[in-house]
Amino acid sequence: MSLIKKPGGKALEILQNLPRITLGNLRPEPGSKKREKKRGRGQYGGNRSGRGHKGQRQRGTRPRLGFEGGATPFYLIIPKYGYNEGHSHRPQYQPLSLKRLQYLIDVGRLDPSQPIDLTQLVNARGVTVQPQKRDYGVHLVDEGAELFAAKINIEVQRASEAVIAAVERNGGVLTNSFYDPISLGILIKPVPFFQRGQPIPRRMLPGEAMVPFYTDPSVRGYLAPPEEVQKARLALARKYGYTLPDLSRDQLFAMLSSRKDPRQIFFGLAPGWVVNMADRKILKPTDEKLLQYYSS
Amino acid sequence: MAARVLWVRTALLRGRRPGPPGGVVVPAVSFTPPALGLQLGPYLPDKDSDRTPRWQRTDHFDRKLYGRYGDASGIEPATLWPNRDRIREMIRDEEQWEPPLEARLRNIRIRETEKEERRLSREKLVAANMAKMPKMVADWRQEQRDTKRKMAEEKARRDQLLAEARERFGYAVDPRSTKFQEMVAEVEKEQKKKKKLLKKRQREEQEATPLATPLAAD
Repeated sequence: MSLIKKPGGKALEILQNLPRITLGNLRPEPGSKKREKKRGRGQYGGNRSGRGHKGQRQRGTRPRLGFEGGATPFYLIIPKYGYNEGHSHRPQYQPLSLKRLQYLIDVGRLDPSQPIDLTQLVNARGVTVQPQKRDYGVHLVDEGAELFAAKINIEVQRASEAVIAAVERNGGVLTNSFYDPISLGILIKPVPFFQRGQPIPRRMLPGEAMVPFYTDPSVRGYLAPPEEVQKARLALARKYGYTLPDLSRDQLFAMLSSRKDPRQIFFGLAPGWVVNMADRKILKPTDEKLLQYYSS
Repeated sequence: MAARVLWVRTALLRGRRPGPPGGVVVPAVSFTPPALGLQLGPYLPDKDSDRTPRWQRTDHFDRKLYGRYGDASGIEPATLWPNRDRIREMIRDEEQWEPPLEARLRNIRIRETEKEERRLSREKLVAANMAKMPKMVADWRQEQRDTKRKMAEEKARRDQLLAEARERFGYAVDPRSTKFQEMVAEVEKEQKKKKKLLKKRQREEQEATPLATPLAAD
């Protein structure tokens, strides 16, 4: 027997010999499941099985929740008022704080040397977006604005003034841009979309209720003219009292100045292209009708 | 265990005593496991077969096959894009439901100007009505004063009539009684007569005096 011990010898050996974990050999944690108690068995089997004596309690026929025995229930006494009018149609935005964004960058889950959009945020498990539940994207929240120190080019759907100031103070760029629910679904889950073998659609424009927001340079809307956005950047720097770093002399100028087309969903992929994941190919249409449709 | 039990059962059925399992064991039942559901290589449905479900014969499914297996699926890549008819349909739908940004901005502007106009016209109306307000208030106050005065006069006249009636009859008369009513009518008649007389006299005086005097009388 040799005296030299292999590091982790026995445990490693066990691990190597154990079968691979699959769905077939998974089972619940011991003690996590409890067997349901069978009522009506044993010494007092013919009695009431712990349900008390007679009535609605024993028979499980209690009246519905909120019912007050025939009196007008409380929930009907209070008059309705339109505070929640249309609540089931209102667009929702998942919050993401600057603190958490900084954390994601610090631990390497987000790469600040590349433009950050919803795909990156979702892949980094920074947010969970559900377009079916009327989620329209991410709202960047100003919690942790004072400790935010990353230089990024980020694209979100809503951001407050303090957040814009915090990003631009560090020499970064922020854009608020709109995705219709279909584009949003594609953006947050690109691979399942590519596996459908469909051409990438065009991103739709925001509805008339949202157009004023996304054409506003002061919130860095993606439809605002760039020169007005630059003016708004300077104005915000003056308001918050910081000097705006000059982007054109920055090493990352190319990255920081990259923006999507208003009709584009992915960076580097134009509408109308098909991505073939199996063969690692991109197919582009050549028919002029198609080109005309996808470029309009 | 199960094999042993089965063996014993078969032995019993055959009328033999169960002996130790040795020699050649002929199993009474046999079990052949079904083939593992492993699909090696892409699954490409046979489009001509009746056993292929209808949803697997669609273009949509073909696109899925291409997306999954790439060129190995044998799908012609040109079929991935919509055909001419479909494109025409898509363009028509978009023209109907997706107006361009300029149209949206124009709509918003129109709506806002309309709203602004409505607000301004309302403000104008309110300002005009507020300008009329002081005169209306003054008129109302005057009216109140007049009514009050008239009521006081009426009351004084009535009191005077009652006092007169008491003087004439020697006791307090009920104002609703016929006696009183008659007296009132009489008094009114007298007053009318007096007025007439006064007018007549005034006219006579005017005729008698020379033309220069009316100025002085004024």
